[in-house]
Amino acid sequence: MTGEWIRFAVSCGLLILGAGFMVAAVFGVNRFHHALNRMHAAAMGDTLGLLFIILGTILMRGFSMDSLKLAMVVIFFWIASPVCSHMISRLEAMTDESLGEITVLEKNNGVRVEEPEKEKSGGKPSKKKKQKKGGRER
Amino acid sequence: MELIQQAYTGVMTGVIVVLAVLIVISIIRSILGPGVSDRIVAINMIGTMVIMITAIFSVMLDENYLADICLIYAMISFLGVVLFCKVYTGVYLQRKHMLADLKAIEDNLNRQTEGHVQEEEAAQ
Repeated sequence: MTGEWIRFAVSCGLLILGAGFMVAAVFGVNRFHHALNRMHAAAMGDTLGLLFIILGTILMRGFSMDSLKLAMVVIFFWIASPVCSHMISRLEAMTDESLGEITVLEKNNGVRVEEPEKEKSGGKPSKKKKQKKGGRER
Repeated sequence: MELIQQAYTGVMTGVIVVLAVLIVISIIRSILGPGVSDRIVAINMIGTMVIMITAIFSVMLDENYLADICLIYAMISFLGVVLFCKVYTGVYLQRKHMLADLKAIEDNLNRQTEGHVQEEEAAQ
């Protein structure tokens, strides 16, 4: 009986942790202002939220072929979610006209130096002169 | 044994209700979102949450086939997002090419009229 309650506590803790990650992801998606920042928040829910909720359900159900199928969902989603993010970011980088000018043309005088900084500080067309030093406010 | 079953059902119902509220908020974001990419991000997250709800239901109702539905829903959601991205990339490129064609036609017309003007001046 105590073992059952311990299992209940651990699995429900995992479920609630996953739901908390999804709350954080939805909050981030609603709060950020540009699509690349929003993808940052949404990727957290795709990976950690799904992992914790599926782990909780696997622990509730016990180990069998069906819980293996649920684990396959996590494995497939971890392979597919970066591809989705890549496609969405490519669409955003192609369609947003004000995205490329900031970092490539103005910040480094046309020299492409720091690639990883491009996505974090990019996407703020109106404040580009103020944030030369600060770079990444949000 | 009755008590622990009730506790499991209560916690799972609570998590499902929280996820349903989050889906409604994501739908509102996908309507409000200013660009196409924001909407696609919101739709992707709605798919993730539907997969979670289906996984919880497969335990709660003790139906084994819902795990298969989970897996297939994940694949179709991935396919849908990739397809949306491809379609909107194509729409954007087509619009850009049409604008470029219009500009080319305009330039040609300007050049021809200038040529006519020069010819007329030369004739005079």
